[in-house]
Amino acid sequence: MQQNIVIAGYAETPIALKTGRSAFDLAGEVFADLLAKTGLSPRDIDGLSATLPLSESGNVFLAAYMADALGLTPTWLNASGLGGCSAVGGVARAQSAIRDGACKIALVISADAVSLSGPGHFGAYRAEFSEPQGVQTPAAAFGLLMSRYDHQYGLDPTALGKIAVTQREHACLNANALEKLRKPLTMDDYLKSRMIADPLRVLDCVMFCDGANAFLVMAESEARARGLSKMVLPTAYAEITNYAGDQSCPDITESGFWRIGPQVLAKAGLKPDAIDMFQPYDDFTIAVMMQMEAFGFCERGQGSAYVLATDLSYRGALPLNTGGGQISAGQPGLAGGGLNLAEGVRQLFGEGEGRQIADPKTALVTGIGTIPYGRNWSTSAAMILEA
Amino acid sequence: MPSPAPRPVPRPDVYVHTQPFWTGARERKLLLQFCTDTGQFQHHPRPVSIHSGSRNLEWREVCGRGVIYACSILRVGRPDAAARLPLDIATIELEEGVRIIANIIDSPADSIRIDAAVVLAWDLLDDDMPYPAFKVVG
Repeated sequence: MQQNIVIAGYAETPIALKTGRSAFDLAGEVFADLLAKTGLSPRDIDGLSATLPLSESGNVFLAAYMADALGLTPTWLNASGLGGCSAVGGVARAQSAIRDGACKIALVISADAVSLSGPGHFGAYRAEFSEPQGVQTPAAAFGLLMSRYDHQYGLDPTALGKIAVTQREHACLNANALEKLRKPLTMDDYLKSRMIADPLRVLDCVMFCDGANAFLVMAESEARARGLSKMVLPTAYAEITNYAGDQSCPDITESGFWRIGPQVLAKAGLKPDAIDMFQPYDDFTIAVMMQMEAFGFCERGQGSAYVLATDLSYRGALPLNTGGGQISAGQPGLAGGGLNLAEGVRQLFGEGEGRQIADPKTALVTGIGTIPYGRNWSTSAAMILEA
Repeated sequence: MPSPAPRPVPRPDVYVHTQPFWTGARERKLLLQFCTDTGQFQHHPRPVSIHSGSRNLEWREVCGRGVIYACSILRVGRPDAAARLPLDIATIELEEGVRIIANIIDSPADSIRIDAAVVLAWDLLDDDMPYPAFKVVG
């Protein structure tokens, strides 16, 4: 019988703007905190998955330099380059590595400091076909995506506003959330917020920040032997990249989650109503709504009605991004994919403090990575955690 | 009178061979990659056909007629686009079964909507370099 490979520890730095610090320094902070919380020493850790951060783009030795920075000597090393899926993808790969005997205790660490350095440059980036028209920004891509969704299904701005308002309420209860975002938001604030790329408003968007998060992955028996009593079991994981990548005219309102959403639920043997919290990757509010449809929380195209009819607060029927998500806690660059994972683990550990969900057993956490030319996002990843 | 903001012509052939697109555009012809194995166009250009995986690709002129598949008004942009805001942007589905992202120019605001018929127009970058844009068929 396969042994359970669990997440037995997590840590997260506060999210901050323009710290002037490096990804390595932020990683050091979260690493030291993780060791303090779990009582482990660096010598106990023999596996490392380091997320490739925007602020170190071009650094092909990032993972090895991270090992050096943290004083680790891993026998399994992974540079996790899945964008916003890097944290969940790193955990899934660490589980496989441990099952294969490549290591026993893996650190999955994501740190980025983009609020000063800005985005990096990418090899096959399509400058010739997006810069002259001014459409190279994620906001432009999501404005186009939202327009198509609205055309096919109808998009109620107050539904997106409810996602923004609810997540902001959660951020107000999260001490790690970006300080300037820890102020309540009204629907009126949302509806009056500046249009960026119609129908995308500024309050539909994330803000680039600095921050780090880290997880320890090991066999359940290993965790127990080390006196770690809090753990969550990732029971299912699926990912897909470049969805519809062989088509010139795909339906862009369909993402990779349409394939992997049902798969990951089936793998865990769960129906959507057995999910106690939804911690989706949220670069833009529409991405949250489209994922709700893909996982079957509601029918396709019914996202607006579902959001308006459902209590998405931490006390509600489907608690949504209970730490505020990236939209309201801040997006620490490509470490942002670990934010929602950390919140899922925290809630299942019962450490949600003022926003604790009552006795949760399951969490659905997702990631999104990279925006291609004229299509939906590139990588979709989903993980189910069980207490 | 202030000089217009620069609109630099991107460097071709950076990650794959794209010069035919630019040579065609100079003559106001829109050339896109065409897979001779499957008879399908693709855009943006790739090193292989996304339909077959082969390098049996050539550049063919498209007719320039299509419909708006998605559209938005960009109101905040990177500095190089800032002087032209607000900017009508659209994903155009061409009759040949391929999409291209472009600006919509010379079209009344209320005519720019999904499913509207459009035809190829030409915008000018620096050095009077034509760049494909579209306008709504009146």
